[in-house]
Amino acid sequence: MQDNSKLRNLFIALSVLGVILILFFGLRAFHAFKKFENHRPPPIAEELLTDAEDIEDWMTVPFVSYNYGVPPDILFDELDIDPKKNFKKSLKQLNDEFYPDDDGYVLTTVKATILAHQPQTLPVPPDAPMPATP
Amino acid sequence: MSDFLLTQVINYGAPLLGVVVFIGGLGVPLPCTPLVIAAGAFSREGYLPWHTTALTSIISVIIGDSLSYSMGYYASGYVLKRFGGTPKWIEAEKTFERWGPLSIFFSRFLVTAIALPVNLLSGTTRYPFRKFIIYDALGEAVWIFGYGGLGYLFGSQWEVVNEFLGNFGGLTLGVIFFIVGLRQVIKRQAKKRQESAAKNLC
Repeated sequence: MQDNSKLRNLFIALSVLGVILILFFGLRAFHAFKKFENHRPPPIAEELLTDAEDIEDWMTVPFVSYNYGVPPDILFDELDIDPKKNFKKSLKQLNDEFYPDDDGYVLTTVKATILAHQPQTLPVPPDAPMPATP
Repeated sequence: MSDFLLTQVINYGAPLLGVVVFIGGLGVPLPCTPLVIAAGAFSREGYLPWHTTALTSIISVIIGDSLSYSMGYYASGYVLKRFGGTPKWIEAEKTFERWGPLSIFFSRFLVTAIALPVNLLSGTTRYPFRKFIIYDALGEAVWIFGYGGLGYLFGSQWEVVNEFLGNFGGLTLGVIFFIVGLRQVIKRQAKKRQESAAKNLC
């Protein structure tokens, strides 16, 4: 009998935990969905990334260079870091190792360099005006 | 941890992702789902070859799952000695026989938090390995191709997809806990009422 009431309490606790999880993750999922809704998949044809604000701490210089079409040597030169042995390090690791007193320096410099050296895409000319039909 | 692993995935590609999902399959809590979504995005950018990455990941995670199944299988000697043959154990086995396929399938991608207990339970209850591997492979295929595919589709916006799917998984787990708990409470309440009614009749 005691076992039964213990089990019953256990299942009540499980339901309560369920409600807590529903509320917690439900709200977070709702907010994430709102964000998700505002994003549309980018067109497949888009080859190079353009928004430098998407660059993050965990990325490496070759990865950023590949995605934004700027040679890695330019980025390493701007950072004044020897590319040898530093190819596989993340931007955060590079910052911690070479600029420990200047938090975020590497990320900011990489973003600025990308903006300055990014290959410019040619603007699409507007459609030629059509003569008005009489 | 997530950031460190992301850096390693872009450095070492599919083999590293394979090792991570293999360890995840063994039950070590690693952020495998974000990595799978990110790998999809990196494939879209052409940084990783999608076929090799998908194939390596799916094979590795199935091996990991099979090993955790066998851990449960070989530990079942001790468990069976203690609980085997008891009415509760028989009931648990029956329940797993009934819900096993669904729990194996959905815990591969939707409620990954219960994947390890499900693997261990499958082994302990001696759920047929052939069936286990079929549902496991199906679930993992949804995980790799579905989640990785969303990463591929959304490219550089993969983090938004990851945030939504992560929270949706937690929400699903909450719903499962709530339904299972409530169902058992109602069942026990009804049984108790029946017993007391029978006592009153006597």
